[in-house]
Amino acid sequence: MDFFSSMRVSASGLEAQTKRMNTISSNIANAETTETDEGGPYKRKDPIFTAVTDKETFGEILQNQMDEKIQGVLVEDVHVDERPPRMVYNPSHPSANEEGYVAMPNVNTVEEMANMISAQRSYEANVTALNAAKAMAQKALEIGR
Amino acid sequence: MSGSGFDATIGALNTSMNLRLMNQNVISSNIANADTPGFKAQKMEFEGALRQALAIDGNLQMETDHPEQMALSPTDPVQPAIFDDPNGIASLDGNTVNRGEEMARMVENQQLYEASAEMLKKKLGMLKYTITEGGGNR
Repeated sequence: MDFFSSMRVSASGLEAQTKRMNTISSNIANAETTETDEGGPYKRKDPIFTAVTDKETFGEILQNQMDEKIQGVLVEDVHVDERPPRMVYNPSHPSANEEGYVAMPNVNTVEEMANMISAQRSYEANVTALNAAKAMAQKALEIGR
Repeated sequence: MSGSGFDATIGALNTSMNLRLMNQNVISSNIANADTPGFKAQKMEFEGALRQALAIDGNLQMETDHPEQMALSPTDPVQPAIFDDPNGIASLDGNTVNRGEEMARMVENQQLYEASAEMLKKKLGMLKYTITEGGGNR
C-alpha cells in the first residue's frame, strides 16, 4: 500500500481506455469494410473490462487482505458484436448478393462517437487521479525540507 | 498513547496521512474501474479509523504492564474498513461508480493530505528551531 499502487491502478485504467480507444478507431475505420479474412463484412468489436487486484510482487500478495479491495482494470477479452449486418441495396457493388444487397458492417458511427467521448473522459479522469497521487507524493517529500 | 517520540500531534498527522493515502488508492481504483461491468464502488471509512487509531473513540486502549509489551500507538498501521458503497446506484451494467462523486472525493482527500503534510512540515520546523536554539533557518 503505497503511492505506487495508486499510480499502477491509474496506469492500468489508462491502458484499458487506450485499448478501448483503439477498438473504437478500428470500428470507425472499418465502418464500410465489406470483405474480411473471416469472410463477410467487418463485425464491430467491444473490449471487455474486468477488475483485477493490484499485486506486483510476492511480498505484496502476502501483505494483507485489504489490498484486495484496491483493484486495477484489465481488458480481459475483445467481444465481437454479433448483431446482424446492415443490408444495403447496391447491385453494382462487387460484394452484392444475388438480390443486389450488400452486407455492410454492423457499426453505428454515432454509437462509436459516443463511446469515444466516454473513453476520452475516462482516460482524463485516470490522468487526474494519477496527477493527484503524484502531487501527494511530492508534498510528502517536502516534509522536513 | 506512546506516540512517535516527539509529540502526539506528529503521530496523529502521520496516521491521518497514511489513511488519506489509503483513501487515494481506493478512489483511484474506483476511477480506473468506472467502466468495468458489475464493479462495485469501494468506500473507506476515514473518520472512524482515525478516531480508533488515535484512541478518541471512547474505547479503551490496550493496557500494557510490561515495557516490552507493545500497545497500539497512533503511528501503528491502521486497518480501516473498506466496503461496497451502500449509496451506489447501479447503472445498466451493474457498475455503481459515480465519476463526479469520486473526483470530488479525490480532490478533497488530496487537499486534506497536503494540509496534513504542511502541518507536519511546520511542526518539524518548530522542532528544528528549538534544537538549533533558534539559530537554524527553518
